[in-house]
Amino acid sequence: METLNLVAQGFGVALQPINLLHCFIGVFIGTLVGVLPGIGPVSAMSLLLPVTLAGTPESGIIMMAGIYYGAMYGGSTTSILVNIPGEAASVVTCIDGHQMAKQGRAGPALGISALGSFIAGTFAIILLMLIAPRLAEIAIAFGPAEYFSLMVLGLVMLTFLTQGSMAKALLMACLGLVLGLVGLDSINAQPRLTFGSIHFIDGIGIVPLVMGLFGVAEVLYNTEQSLKREVVSANISNMFPNKDDWKRSAGPIGRGTVLGFFLGVLPGGGAVVSTFASYALEKRLSSYPERFGKGVIEGVAGPEAANNAAAGGAFIPLMTLGIPPNVVMALLLGAFIIHGLQPGPLMIAQNPKLFWGIIASMYIGNLMLLVLNLPLIGMWVRLLKLPYNVLFPLILLFTIIGVYASGNNVFDIYVMIFFGITGYFMRKFGFEPAPLVLAFVLGPLLENNLRKALILSQGDLATFLQRPISAACLIIAVGLLLSPMLPTIRKKREVVALDSEAS
Amino acid sequence: MRIDNTELWSGLAGLALSAFVVWSGYTLGLGSINDPGSGYVMFYAGLLMILFSLIILYSAIKDGGPTFLSLWRNVLWTKPLIVIALLIAFTLLFETLGFLVSTIILLIALLRVIDPVAWSRAIPIAILVPLVAWYVLQKLLLIQLPSGAFGIG
Repeated sequence: METLNLVAQGFGVALQPINLLHCFIGVFIGTLVGVLPGIGPVSAMSLLLPVTLAGTPESGIIMMAGIYYGAMYGGSTTSILVNIPGEAASVVTCIDGHQMAKQGRAGPALGISALGSFIAGTFAIILLMLIAPRLAEIAIAFGPAEYFSLMVLGLVMLTFLTQGSMAKALLMACLGLVLGLVGLDSINAQPRLTFGSIHFIDGIGIVPLVMGLFGVAEVLYNTEQSLKREVVSANISNMFPNKDDWKRSAGPIGRGTVLGFFLGVLPGGGAVVSTFASYALEKRLSSYPERFGKGVIEGVAGPEAANNAAAGGAFIPLMTLGIPPNVVMALLLGAFIIHGLQPGPLMIAQNPKLFWGIIASMYIGNLMLLVLNLPLIGMWVRLLKLPYNVLFPLILLFTIIGVYASGNNVFDIYVMIFFGITGYFMRKFGFEPAPLVLAFVLGPLLENNLRKALILSQGDLATFLQRPISAACLIIAVGLLLSPMLPTIRKKREVVALDSEAS
Repeated sequence: MRIDNTELWSGLAGLALSAFVVWSGYTLGLGSINDPGSGYVMFYAGLLMILFSLIILYSAIKDGGPTFLSLWRNVLWTKPLIVIALLIAFTLLFETLGFLVSTIILLIALLRVIDPVAWSRAIPIAILVPLVAWYVLQKLLLIQLPSGAFGIG
């Protein structure tokens, strides 16, 4: 009963006209960046981070959250119609979705993708609503040792799931950690790696770093390729799946939802890995696995449900522990901090309106997305025809505007260009930017908790192993670090490894 | 093993960067284990970076890797260079020319350089988009933008 009262209170917040507007802007931009290849939710959220300053914390965070789950819907449209993933979590949808489109079944593919996403998204919100407050109560007992070990586990898990060499991913994570420490030491105000410049006193801004590594680097990398697209637009008028489609999709949607939600909750996990896991599961359970890859609806329904459920699940570690499990949530943490809020176990109790307002807005946002992605699909298809030679200059312009607007400082544009060039070479040499960005955000928190834990235990390192949650996290992390030495696990890791914008 | 192996140079670059991080952490002060100093985490992160760089180097020596030439073969490698040069030139002139003039020039240049868009399309896009962006930022969001030496915008 108390939960229902809180949900009602949340709807009171979410249904305020200004919050409804922000929710709509968020899901609209989310669908837009999901549809457009080359710009994902990470770039869009960092671009709009400064805009959230203009309104209340509720409206800003509602908009940012909307971009994230909106991108999960939009990404599938590009995968199905163009065979290019709109964003990383839609890579798997290309496999069977585009085949369905080529067979004249683009409508049902898009329809099941939107409806499956809606079902999974709604279910994930209900689970988030039920689990988050309980977990927050438990998390109050967490000390610095637990926080430190959880963050270590999150970083190790992300590097484990990152494509390519694990040593490279770990090197990037360490580099991100170091970059996160640039600026004044939070304990004794000693400047670190500032090179005597006042520009680095407050550290490196997350907006120029992310826009450089993801936005500018992506454009630089793509400008050297000759990209051509062929948009399938025939037969997308009949969007609703038939009875047989529903019968075949019900199981994959259900399984994808549960799998996606729990993989989303795991630190370092998230939407991308859940889609691969769901696809592999459906193929294994299917009585006709040989037809996967040739246009079966299960190959679209399962992964699409999974990525939306994972997007909901990813809010749990952020809201209850204050630890972002992936890069997108790290940016959302940035939005909370900009407004002077610290997500964590006390936030739900101290700011119930904010927490329940965000949850309620996600229900409303999912409904908006259903409208945006079913009757208005034609609009997104037209947008897909926007040529790259116009799109890339516009992306560059918006990244510059976003970075400048975030701090009114030209120096930030130089920082963005520097990280753009760095990101370009990282992509060329097979280094993933996702571990770097997550470690960059977690760096100061990780350092703070490590130092606190050591001070409280008077330098006794055993404190990390004497506390059960901390010990469990560290044991899992060590297991993951050592597992690539086993050939069978190394093979499995290569199968589920994340794509470049691992979020 | 080839000397132009990119993995080898990645490992060496990582090693140099790691050595700098270790040295920076050390000079900042390690403190003690029951009262870690400002350089404590940086120092140990640097040591881990050395370890991972050595693993990359070992794998480069053992398994080899792509050459520099192979990474830039069959690609339009001059395009990213031109884009970077344009971005740097834009940033240098941003405050002098002001937001509107500099972004219009940048957009025209980018639209004509990346994969040339016809002038008849490039010019309207290059003027309209910065104008709309300027209006939203300056008038609606009240974000101060430089008007430059000409006072435009």
